[in-house]
Amino acid sequence: MRVLVVEDEKKTASFVRKALEAEGFAVDVSARGDEALVAAISTPFDGIILDIMLPGRDGLSVLRQLRAQGNRTPVLLLSARGEVDERVEGLDAGADDYLPKPFVIAELVARVRALGRRGSETKATVLRVADLTLDTISHRAQRGGKVFDLTAREFRLLEFLMRSAGRICGRMSIIEKVWDYDFDPGTNLVDVYVKRLREKIDDGFEPKLLQTVRGVGYVLKE
Amino acid sequence: MKIRTRLNLWYMAILSAVALAVVGAAVYHELVIEHRHYRHHNHGEKSETELDSEDLIDILTWSVTPAIVVGVIGGWWLTRRALEPVANLTDAVEKVNDRNLSTPLPRSGNGDELDRLTEVFNAMTSRLDSSFQRIREFTLHASHELKTPLTVLRGELETALHDESLTAARKDQLASQIDEIERLAKIVDGLTLLTKADAGQVALKLEPVKFDELVRESAADAKILAQPHGVDVSESQCEQITITGDRHRLRQLLLNLTDNAVKYNQPGGKIDFSLRRDGNCGLLQISNSGAGLAPDLQGHVFERFFRGDSSHNSEIEGCGLGLSIAQWIVLAHKGEIRFESRPNQLTTVSVRLPLAN
Repeated sequence: MRVLVVEDEKKTASFVRKALEAEGFAVDVSARGDEALVAAISTPFDGIILDIMLPGRDGLSVLRQLRAQGNRTPVLLLSARGEVDERVEGLDAGADDYLPKPFVIAELVARVRALGRRGSETKATVLRVADLTLDTISHRAQRGGKVFDLTAREFRLLEFLMRSAGRICGRMSIIEKVWDYDFDPGTNLVDVYVKRLREKIDDGFEPKLLQTVRGVGYVLKE
Repeated sequence: MKIRTRLNLWYMAILSAVALAVVGAAVYHELVIEHRHYRHHNHGEKSETELDSEDLIDILTWSVTPAIVVGVIGGWWLTRRALEPVANLTDAVEKVNDRNLSTPLPRSGNGDELDRLTEVFNAMTSRLDSSFQRIREFTLHASHELKTPLTVLRGELETALHDESLTAARKDQLASQIDEIERLAKIVDGLTLLTKADAGQVALKLEPVKFDELVRESAADAKILAQPHGVDVSESQCEQITITGDRHRLRQLLLNLTDNAVKYNQPGGKIDFSLRRDGNCGLLQISNSGAGLAPDLQGHVFERFFRGDSSHNSEIEGCGLGLSIAQWIVLAHKGEIRFESRPNQLTTVSVRLPLAN
């Protein structure tokens, strides 16, 4: 996958590039909005990570111009403001995803990966990780013959984690997908829910599936 | 006493005094001088036209009193007319607040003293407006500028955390630094939001919202959040209530209040949610059995970065802006928020929001 990173802050651009390259992406970096627009039009990228505040031309304007020309390259917007209005504005302008700064690198990488997969997400109704299964129609989860009672929220959390099995899920993504919050609630809500879910699906079983990635989020994997 | 009343009283007094003096002089002339003159000519016989006290009363009743009344009414009307621009100006100035400083007061343009006063006032508010503007822009810029180094710091720490050769202790240290960076980022986010709100730049997306559903959802979250602390969560009442509001902001409000009720509680304590109709408002009360606040501190609870009694709360994490944001959300919905706490009793936050029509 070839990705264009448009970010004028050198250090940020540098660690984003390193992280993406470590995951096997080919990365181009541009520090100016106008240059990025030219590059995005001339090169077929699989995804663009676009900062909003840029010299030359701001990110939203680059995005609008791209979309106006019929360019459908998936775009993930980065913004230092992290306000809901800006997120809505970005998505309206044609962005596929939005991440406020400061972001978790692992989360950024996971989302860029998801950009490439857009539309091809698994539609399976029974999800399976090791011996844990979740029936998304009957809302029943079971492991090793034991059936778990899940609250609506726990079900959504488990479904999200299982659909992204093997990939790190940042707190921000979990909050967005499971709670529909556009803002960081500033509580340890996610951690408390994950802990409860873990007590249900992992206590008394081996191997432990739901793992914590310190400073980043959670991952469900064998 | 109003200037108008004072002017009117003075005017009435002077008018009456003058009228009485004139009448007095006329009567004196009539009674004493003319009378003496008449007697002198008619050898002491009584004149047919001679005035007695009844005539005097008639004169006072039928000519002097109406004159005074007409005079007073005219005077009242004149002062009213003269002072009307002052009253209008007062009304207009009364409506000035930190959000509409840029709107100038209407001027009469006739160049009189009041027009000049309005002009000077407008110049003053426009100076104030630009300083307010500068402070807000400063905060917004500062928030933005702070985010960049925070992003770099967070990114580099996270990269460092991936180094497999690190000891567990070192990893803990790095993770704890990341936590602090996230806290800083939250403070910056909160400040940005409040600054934008102050500047009237945050638009609410209003729609009919089933508030009771949001409250039930928060109570469910509270149960989960409170469980590790052995805090019991109850829902004593939850009537169906629909309000016109911004769903997203209302959830933020509820989450902030719920989070506070859990954070400032004591182990084994309790939290209660109650939502009911109260007149044309929905009244939400979230009570908790926390230590509460001394009465003299309660007035400050919605202030930014207010931390209560520092000896109690130094352990409690938070950005210190939760209740300020909650207050802004409630006020933006034309509602009311109150904080009540009495020693050894429940601490209650009450939110009153107008019902949807």
